[in-house]
Amino acid sequence: MLGVAIAAVALGVPFWVDGYWRTTFAFVVIAAIGALGLDVLTGWTGQISLGHAFFLAVGAYVGGYLGAHQGLSAALWIPAAGAAAGVLGAVAGPAALRLRGLYLAIVTIGLVYIGYYVLQTWTGFSGGPGGESLPPVTFGSWNFARGVTVAGHVFTRDQCYYYLALLLLVLAMLYVRNVTRSTLGRSMVAVRDRELAAAVLGVHVARTKMRAFVISSVLAGVAGALYGSFLSFAVPGDWGLVLSIEYVVMIVVGGMASLWGPVLGALFVVGLPALLQNVSTTLTFLSNTTSGNGLSPADAAEIVYGVLLVLFLLIEPGGIVGIGRRIGRQLAGRFARAGGGAGGS
Amino acid sequence: MGLEPGAGLEQGAGLEQGARVGEGPALDVDGVGLQFGALWALSEVSFSVGLRELFAVIGPNGAGKTSLFNLLSRVYEPTTGRIRCFGRDMAGLRPHHLAGVGVGRTFQNLGLFPHSPVVDNVLVGRAHLMKSGTVRAGLRLPSARREERHHRDAAMEALAAVGLASVAHRPVGALPYGIQKRVELARALAMEPRLLLLDEPVAGMSRSERSEIVDLVRSIHATRPLAIVLVEHDMGVVMGLAQRVLVLDFGRPIALGSPAVVQADPEVVRAYLGQPLAAELAGRAAGRTPAGGLAAGSPRGPVPAGPAGEPSGGGAD
Repeated sequence: MLGVAIAAVALGVPFWVDGYWRTTFAFVVIAAIGALGLDVLTGWTGQISLGHAFFLAVGAYVGGYLGAHQGLSAALWIPAAGAAAGVLGAVAGPAALRLRGLYLAIVTIGLVYIGYYVLQTWTGFSGGPGGESLPPVTFGSWNFARGVTVAGHVFTRDQCYYYLALLLLVLAMLYVRNVTRSTLGRSMVAVRDRELAAAVLGVHVARTKMRAFVISSVLAGVAGALYGSFLSFAVPGDWGLVLSIEYVVMIVVGGMASLWGPVLGALFVVGLPALLQNVSTTLTFLSNTTSGNGLSPADAAEIVYGVLLVLFLLIEPGGIVGIGRRIGRQLAGRFARAGGGAGGS
Repeated sequence: MGLEPGAGLEQGAGLEQGARVGEGPALDVDGVGLQFGALWALSEVSFSVGLRELFAVIGPNGAGKTSLFNLLSRVYEPTTGRIRCFGRDMAGLRPHHLAGVGVGRTFQNLGLFPHSPVVDNVLVGRAHLMKSGTVRAGLRLPSARREERHHRDAAMEALAAVGLASVAHRPVGALPYGIQKRVELARALAMEPRLLLLDEPVAGMSRSERSEIVDLVRSIHATRPLAIVLVEHDMGVVMGLAQRVLVLDFGRPIALGSPAVVQADPEVVRAYLGQPLAAELAGRAAGRTPAGGLAAGSPRGPVPAGPAGEPSGGGAD
């Protein structure tokens, strides 16, 4: 029942809200794909990476290059973007995954800087410091930039991106669910919780980390391709460390090693600032910037967002999913008491 | 090299179970030493374990039991000597290869994954037997589903064998310590080992839990085609269970043989057992059960005084 409700809301949302929120929700769903990938690596396998922005950038520019310069359909360049990021993940993995904890985090920061340098200098590929237009998603005669007409109904640009991203997010969630319930998922948790014990028990630690790294990179590549295309223009600075950190915040806030955590985290990290921006412009005591008193709406939104983030993690380290579980347990306990254990499980 | 401390004893011991098998040893440790900086944690340790033998390593704290165990499970590399497992030289094997060679182990301080359900913990022991990866498992292909079902059944069997089928789906971290130790045993069995390494299987357990584990280990040894090497602090457990015993002291083997032979060895009594235990053993021989085993008090502290009173001193010298 909950599943049906979630599906109905997810499908209906672009029709109930205005353009500002349609765009925001499209960004939320795209980010959720990337966050889901990072959660496989960090939440499930325990490897902290600050290099996610690198793989997002790879997806965006490889997708853009194949779409714009090679004229390929999005049905090809989106998977190709994921594959390219996956291959680079497989190349970077063996070096990075020899390290643990903070050292791994620092080495993956290095990836972000290498990526930035390449984007700055390889102008034929990235447009250099001046930036590059990234092509819209096209499937045959459908061009997302112009909106798509299906059976007489016109879907706006942001609706098109939203639904495509939603489809890919659902597929990615099914994939991650299958993986985490398999022997690979158990090995990932074993590596995360007790690496040495896992090895002695027969878990191939290096291979397990590598697989997690590649899955994470592929999903980042797909998310990056959609993100770049939806932005339609990107400069090298868009793919910096801040973007990586935003993804880490998503999985931490949402709740790590859970299927819905990254989705809820993306909603929080992308959606909440948008909400605060939206609200703060209507609060006169905040928007009184011309006289020099008060904060600009953007600054106020940032501060509130930061405070909420800190409070949130202090109160519930398990993230949004942790709060949900706690409420679920309490409700279950109440039902169990009321109904003699019938609703307990 | 390395045989002199135990050489004399080994003769007597070899007449026990180990030599009867005759198919080549499950474990062959030859002149092994382990050096940490200037300190030799182990030196000149040699023994072999028969294919169906139940072998124990004992010694006071700091004797090198855990170092030896970590050598056997490839956590450490021996400084000198050689370890063969079913005739295979273990040098160059990485820890994760051990499961494939047929070595299963438990951990002294539990090597469980606390957030995962019991059955998932057991299934980790079968990871080396499973092939599904990013594609087959991720797409839930029929072959991956079949594999998962097969191994889940095997894991449930292993849990049933230690009497834990009913808690299979509980998170392991929420279970009592004694149960967790048994989950580890189930997981080691699920690895389908030919050599089972048990690192202090009764450490920190109550007396009734201890006797349960002893019975369990005995029945595993009786019903399954495997060798067991057990590192243990609790003297009573080892003496009632093992076929042969290696005694370490300050990293050196001081005795090797059947429990009766080792127990009577004057050097063992002097170095390890000491006066109080000798008293306890005398009490036990007289048919009285001591109130607590050797390790019951504080495992890290000195050997507690034998509760049986009556310092008979028999065998102390």
